[in-house]
Amino acid sequence: MVMSKRRNSKKVLFISAIVLILSTLLLGCTNESKENSTSNKDNKDMLTLAWPRDIGEMNPHVYNPSQLFATSMIYEPLVSYQDGGKLKPHLAESWEISKDGKEYTFNLRQDVKFSDGTSFNAEIVKKNFDTILKNVDLHSWLGFITKVDQTEVIDQNTFKLTLKEPYYPTIQELAVVRPVRFLGDAGFPKDGDTSKGVTKPVGTGPWILEEYKADEYAIFKRNENYWGELPKVKKIKVKVIPDAETRVLAFEKGDLDLIYGEGAISLDAFKQLETTGNYETSISDPVATRQLVMNTKKEQLSDLRVRQALQYGFNKKAMVDGVTSGLEEKADFILPTNFPYTSDIDVTAIDYNVEKAKALLDEAGWKLPKGKNVREKDGKPLEIELMYDSAESIQKAMAETLQSEWAALGVKLNIVGVELTVQIERFKANDFELNFFSNYGAPYDPHTFVNVVGSEGFGFNEAISSYPNRDELLKQIADVPGTTDEKERQELYSTILESLQDQGAIVPISYIKKIAVYQKDVSDFTFPANRDEHPFTGISIEK
Amino acid sequence: MITSLRIMMRSQKVIVLCSIILSFLFIITILAPWIAPNDPIAVNLANKLQPSSFEYPLGTDHLGRCTLSRILYGARISLGFATLIFISSLGIGLIIGTIAGYKGGWVDQVLMRLCDGVMAFPNLLLILGLVGILGPGLKQVIIALMLVQWVYYARIFRGMVLSLKEQNYIAAAKISGSSQWKIIKKHIVPNVLPPLAVMGTLEMGWAIMDISAMSFLGLGVQPPTPEWGAMIHEGKTYIRTNPELMLYPGLMIMLVVVTFNLLGEALSERFGVKRR
Repeated sequence: MVMSKRRNSKKVLFISAIVLILSTLLLGCTNESKENSTSNKDNKDMLTLAWPRDIGEMNPHVYNPSQLFATSMIYEPLVSYQDGGKLKPHLAESWEISKDGKEYTFNLRQDVKFSDGTSFNAEIVKKNFDTILKNVDLHSWLGFITKVDQTEVIDQNTFKLTLKEPYYPTIQELAVVRPVRFLGDAGFPKDGDTSKGVTKPVGTGPWILEEYKADEYAIFKRNENYWGELPKVKKIKVKVIPDAETRVLAFEKGDLDLIYGEGAISLDAFKQLETTGNYETSISDPVATRQLVMNTKKEQLSDLRVRQALQYGFNKKAMVDGVTSGLEEKADFILPTNFPYTSDIDVTAIDYNVEKAKALLDEAGWKLPKGKNVREKDGKPLEIELMYDSAESIQKAMAETLQSEWAALGVKLNIVGVELTVQIERFKANDFELNFFSNYGAPYDPHTFVNVVGSEGFGFNEAISSYPNRDELLKQIADVPGTTDEKERQELYSTILESLQDQGAIVPISYIKKIAVYQKDVSDFTFPANRDEHPFTGISIEK
Repeated sequence: MITSLRIMMRSQKVIVLCSIILSFLFIITILAPWIAPNDPIAVNLANKLQPSSFEYPLGTDHLGRCTLSRILYGARISLGFATLIFISSLGIGLIIGTIAGYKGGWVDQVLMRLCDGVMAFPNLLLILGLVGILGPGLKQVIIALMLVQWVYYARIFRGMVLSLKEQNYIAAAKISGSSQWKIIKKHIVPNVLPPLAVMGTLEMGWAIMDISAMSFLGLGVQPPTPEWGAMIHEGKTYIRTNPELMLYPGLMIMLVVVTFNLLGEALSERFGVKRR
């Protein structure tokens, strides 16, 4: 009896499994077409896009899993980062920096209101700063946070920030999406500590979160009382579609107006959509460098020769071109050269050279025993683990390529796909051997990347522990933000970035670019200069 | 009489056909290293997503690896480990089921409540949970599958033993002073073996499905080891431009699972083993 039940249910399971496998691929379209046809009538001016993850908690003062683009729709900064690294007034009309570089006085814009009608003033700015400063540890990756001495309300529209020591990137860092954006009074929890959650997402931004269903969708409506240029579309719907192929199918069917982002769809799908000519596509400038980080604390990677051998041992250009279909560019430097202070870097180029890689490994004592295909030293095989984000097809494909290429050197690479959160945690805990990383991009770099390398508990500081010049390097990293002389600053940055790269723990792989595909009725799509900012300013749609 | 004869004839044919297909598959599985045209894990990005050619009979995948070679090597994982799971869970189930059925009393109670516990969860959920605890990897999936599968064998063998126990020849053996173990070994086990062929063939199909499903979800076989489920997962990204990457391994899974199921059905008709 029990057995027969199992047989029947198994049979049902078998059939439904097949049906499921086939239908998941189409799910995106079938489900959503119904939804859309009804909602389209009501919301003619609604732009629908897909996002791989839930937007998360709309709290400007916390991190993962909140999605940056969504946070930036609701909350605004004092200054904004524009093309070429220019910093323009935003919620602050103007600012003055004292001669010693410690005092920053902001004249706030007077016509700004939060979406609940309360006004934006120096009081609320101070309140936000103070709650952020309660959790310095959480935010210490952002350099100026640890330097803040006090926050003051001078008058209704004047706010003063005093630092303990001069820190040149302060203004640039105020443009970031989190944590220094401003939550309205109604959003604060009773104890005032936003790190545990906000009661209501109240911001000054052009968009208001209207409807939200976890892991399904979020609808933003435009803030009719927005102080700046009113958005052209009335609503933006963000659908959560975790699978990239499903996103493409939904887009082709017309259920989505826009897909954009880094790795939002596979590059092959992007190429294919581009060639049909039925859609608009665009590619951004490099936004960051895809890096491979070697943990020099691990025995087998503590030898510079091994690290160099691994770099010599793979054909970077072929890998980048092959895996990304040429949409990413092979990177020669650990930071893209279009950021400030990053264009003048002099490093030893490492070109593909298998023979040299083998020679270096031999020299380092890792010999290939007869009849085996993995090198050994003192009886231990040369085995390395590479961790990658299992949701990222590019990382996976690159991991498999490296595995195959390094196998030819006699290096056994074990690749492990993990969830993004696990990847970040393990990196921070120094529980990795090789890991993929990418720098932060505008408006954070180069100083944030360098600061993270120097700070403990973020992964890099521990990962470079076998560098012979580590102490000197850490001192230079600590010194650079306090420099007031432009030339001295440039020299320090050059030295830091050069030795980081020459010591081989951080390997530049490729320059990451954003992609966008959108329907022909969508116009004025532009990539924001700030990597994390939403791209909806000025976007319009005609249905 | 005539219909049953016809069924017998038909099932005989199915048995022969399925057996030929399966033996063929097992042979190519064993011979994979010799008949595969290329190294299944050699990445060659210059050759990615190639159509069928003389060098790559079924084309190449997104990393330029030979699809045919990967399918052949993948068969080793699917068929090999399905057999392993089948044999080991059958072994555990046979021992526990026979002991529970024959001994009865509290031993039976404890073992059967344990089975109830396992069976209370949907199969796939339990396997997913176990793999979640043990961590992704082929070894873990196999352990999880074994831990879940044995209960069904235990249940069915217990039932058979219970009915056999009442048979006169068992009573006769008891009276003539045979030990308990001797009775189990000599009289009970041989009698529960015939339905084994039926259950085994059906079970094999499910084990292959489960391994593939886990690999498809990224929990089973880890790259670069070729496996059918994992290949479908990898091909998924290219379903638009290169649907064959999903199609070939998918067809292989279908062929194997359907063959095992047909064989199981035919065997049960042939031997008159009741399954419903």
